Amino acid sequence: MTQPITLHSIRACLEGAVPAVVATCAGDGTPNVSYISEVHYVDPGHVALSYQFFSKTRQNVLENPRATVLVIHPDTGAQYKLAAGYLRTEDSGPLFECMKAKLAGIASHAGMTGVFRLRGADVYRVDSVTQVYRTSLTPAAASASSLAQVRCCIERLSATSDLASLLDTLLESLRDVLGIRHSMVLMREPTGQALYTVASRGYTASGVGAEIRPGEGVIGAAALSRTPIRIAHATSEFGYGRAMRDDATRLGITAGIESAIPLPGLPESQSQIAVPILAGERLLGVLFAESIETGRFGYDEEDALVVVARHAGSAVAMLEEGEAIDSDRPVARSAAPAPRGAPIRVRRYVENDSIFVGDEYMIKGVAGAILWKLLRDFVNEGRTEFSNRELRLDPAIRLPDLSENLEARLILLQRRLEERCPSLRIEKTGRGQFRLHVNRPLTLAEIGRHQ
Amino acid sequence: MDQSKGKALQLDADHAAFIQGAVSVVVSSRNSQHVPDVVRGCGCRVSRDRRRVTVLVEAARTGSVLDDIATNGLIAVVFSQPSTHRTIQLKGSDARITRVTGADRGIAQRHLRAWVQDLQLIGYAADFARAVRGEAPDLVAVTFTLAAAYLQTPGPAAGQRLEQ
Repeated sequence: MTQPITLHSIRACLEGAVPAVVATCAGDGTPNVSYISEVHYVDPGHVALSYQFFSKTRQNVLENPRATVLVIHPDTGAQYKLAAGYLRTEDSGPLFECMKAKLAGIASHAGMTGVFRLRGADVYRVDSVTQVYRTSLTPAAASASSLAQVRCCIERLSATSDLASLLDTLLESLRDVLGIRHSMVLMREPTGQALYTVASRGYTASGVGAEIRPGEGVIGAAALSRTPIRIAHATSEFGYGRAMRDDATRLGITAGIESAIPLPGLPESQSQIAVPILAGERLLGVLFAESIETGRFGYDEEDALVVVARHAGSAVAMLEEGEAIDSDRPVARSAAPAPRGAPIRVRRYVENDSIFVGDEYMIKGVAGAILWKLLRDFVNEGRTEFSNRELRLDPAIRLPDLSENLEARLILLQRRLEERCPSLRIEKTGRGQFRLHVNRPLTLAEIGRHQ
Repeated sequence: MDQSKGKALQLDADHAAFIQGAVSVVVSSRNSQHVPDVVRGCGCRVSRDRRRVTVLVEAARTGSVLDDIATNGLIAVVFSQPSTHRTIQLKGSDARITRVTGADRGIAQRHLRAWVQDLQLIGYAADFARAVRGEAPDLVAVTFTLAAAYLQTPGPAAGQRLEQ
């Protein structure tokens, strides 16, 4: 009945779906056995156990590192025994953050929210894995995230040539190839103060422009710790929806007018995963997906999304380099015919560069400053052709880091206008170049801090 | 060893009923190298004076647990009700393998039914719960005198000794 099995092959047992037990032995030889909320897969040779209270288990492994962990397969009920040796405790960093979020989901599922709180991730070396008991039940169908599907996603990404289509292709390949229907990409503000939504799929409202702060919910945790964060059961602790609403209440009133864009989200969301989009060590943004199914995203899905997001991150970095070169070309400046009809009043609140078209809030921050520059040049000079380069050089726009993120802001602006403002449109005309379309006369008004 | 080694404790009636009810029973031991082992049990019975506990395990799953117990008599058993998380741990230092009676087989059958029902309360499928528990055709009984008892329900009080 006992046969050697790899830790990797029993990762499904390490999702916290069925509680595990751990046996230890004190320095004086007294055995101890205890339930453990979370046994987390670290790598093919290591697991981490959740340290929640100062327990006999913990006292024992500090004296005698040998432990035996019994885990249960969530589909078949088969039992596996891990012979393990305690190595160390991590109380911060990626592993800790990842386990903390997962534990919040487990606690929520177990009705233990507020009781289960992670104090540390106890890392163990796994010396052997044995099956102690087999059952007649068969495991659920093999995970959807095969290597072949990951390859397919990456090939689709490789066929894109600009950031907007790269981001759209990323989310569409998740949907079409991996069957993940609700997803979004948030890009990092170069200041690091916020992440803003630039693309989404599967939601009633796209939420383009919606912001989240690092540290908030699974998305913010993934950004802050630069590690994948996932939960298998809805939890208020990591519910980004609530954090967003609180934020909207607290920060959303600008000059007396609501200016927060709601983050898209499934109200019945049970499973969530957020994966950092990295270029080397640089955080570009976060890829987020969710589902109303519990336990939708396991280790295999996490692996798949990490590989795809890594590839997307490298592709974004390459596009940035290409754009920096191409946008040096001069831009043809042509005068456009003046639009007709009743003028629209466009206001800019100087305080945070928030722009309102008519009474509707459009955008703020750097994207707001860009829109204002375009509209000003249009009204004053009749210009409609612009280049990324001149935006980079314009002191009024105050790009926090000249090399970063302009294209993502243009996509944000373009999509926001597309959704909210039929009178204004931005059209990409080439690498690093675009055209402003205005179909109504504009009157511009700046509203300063003291008015 | 636990300070209470050798002193026979008595479970109160409530805890005695609790550990003979719809609870997971998990038995652990350790060998001469202080390496622990563990096996999920199939029910238990408490002696009339509530000072001794007999746990039932399925022989094929015991690993080195029975050998360890035969060698040193040390045992720790955790009892936990899945639907409530109520948990206690009992320890002994005179554990030995004892004869399985007809009554024990009845206890294991009733434990199977009660435990499966409890898991169904919290959303597990009955066939999954039955598979985890198994029919346990080859029972072994292990009896020990209570030497220590601890509260282990998750929370800050976990680890405290049970009041005797």
